[in-house]
Amino acid sequence: MPVSIQFRQALGKLVLPALILVACGVILLGKADRPLIEKLRMQTADLLAPAYGLVAWPQAKLRWLSGNLQDIRNLEAENIRLRAENVSLRHWYDVAAALADENAALKSNLHWIPDNAPAFVTGRVVRDTSGLYARAVLLAINPDTAVRKGGIALDGSGLVGRVTEVGKRSVRVLLITDSSSRLPVTLESSHAAAIMAGDNTALPRIIFYPQDNVPIEGERVVTNGEIESLPAGLPVGHVHYVRPGQPVVVPAAALDHIDILRIFDYEDTVSPPDAPGRVPLPNVGRTMSLPSQFQSRPDQGLHG
Amino acid sequence: MKNFTPPPIRPGIHPRSGLGYRIDHGMRSSVPCLFVFFVALVLSAPLNLPGQVELMPAIIMAAIFLWSVFVPVLMPSIAVFMLGIWVDILSFGPAGVMLLTMLIVHGIALSGRYTLARVNFFVLWFVFGVVMVGVTALQWVLCSALALHIVEFLPFVFETVLAFGSFPVLYTGFVWTYRFVVNNADPS
Repeated sequence: MPVSIQFRQALGKLVLPALILVACGVILLGKADRPLIEKLRMQTADLLAPAYGLVAWPQAKLRWLSGNLQDIRNLEAENIRLRAENVSLRHWYDVAAALADENAALKSNLHWIPDNAPAFVTGRVVRDTSGLYARAVLLAINPDTAVRKGGIALDGSGLVGRVTEVGKRSVRVLLITDSSSRLPVTLESSHAAAIMAGDNTALPRIIFYPQDNVPIEGERVVTNGEIESLPAGLPVGHVHYVRPGQPVVVPAAALDHIDILRIFDYEDTVSPPDAPGRVPLPNVGRTMSLPSQFQSRPDQGLHG
Repeated sequence: MKNFTPPPIRPGIHPRSGLGYRIDHGMRSSVPCLFVFFVALVLSAPLNLPGQVELMPAIIMAAIFLWSVFVPVLMPSIAVFMLGIWVDILSFGPAGVMLLTMLIVHGIALSGRYTLARVNFFVLWFVFGVVMVGVTALQWVLCSALALHIVEFLPFVFETVLAFGSFPVLYTGFVWTYRFVVNNADPS
């Protein structure tokens, strides 16, 4: 279509403002329809997950190699330390075995119902998606495994985070250090309940602890079974005071370089029983129908 | 009506515009956009570089700024928009914020290019620094507003400083690319 030069110039000048308006629209869309954006991003991440895995693999090998070399260098000192540790561990093993026996005896006397063993899948961390305002990692998983939103991620030594987005071949785990992470925890020695709140730094804060029962430096922090998908007693870390009156949790998990994670599915391990006298509510969108004894029967009519 | 072809800007011998020439020309002129595309792709991979998260916006902003000032034909607005979408998909921040800031940097560079293309390098560096400060502040305000709480300010300061510091290196790379890779692509 032949158009005049002036018209084309005017059109050219309008392109950038129009695109900026569209960008504002994208921002609003991202706020209004979060699932759409998340789906798009997870699909892209799914596509790129094998490539990211390829990048991560040589790094892991290299780290393994350098770790090996370092181990060889201080073999002597390590041996001495291990021997000493072995002696103390042997002592603890005896204690633990005795306690386990006692525990088993007590449980059998009390008719203890054992917990279900939770199902888990293991995956390699392929990408750190932490941005300026989020702490999260992307995990490659087998497409056949079922991982649900809300799964609990643990590494070898403690709680790492929760699954927030699930794709076909990758899942995104929001770390406990993220600023939107709030988890109920129990402080093991002082028996206080508190909330562990991430703030994008390496050490999440402890908030809402009882004022007459302050956290003790160095005591263990474990999860507290108050939310359904997170069972009680998972190790989180230990308390540390960065300055007086500001307790933080030093996470037990190595959050700065996470390599392999296990995702546990604790959903519906404990489902609350129906309370007596509880009336099941009708689904939204369906009209409420009267119980059968109050319904008028068409064959009987009003006069019986 | 007879068609008048304008005289070539650079008179001399021109290669025949066959298929090979057109492919070569296309590759050369898509270097700026491909550069931004691959920077976004590579820096979102798990390389474990220190400051990797802040490095990506710094490099992308500097590249868009330089190409928009000196050769806006090779960094058109629509390409900046597409690249912005790409960067946004790869990062997990609030959607559209990176896109908007990239477009704003492009717009500023485009509107001031008749002045900026002539000034001394150090003045250009300073102007880029000022633009980055403004854009990063806007990014911080938007992120805080979308997250409904004040997000930490320090990473944004780090991003600005990193962009400011890496500008001379990127400028050198830009000049080299412009002289030896792109400039052979004669637009006539």
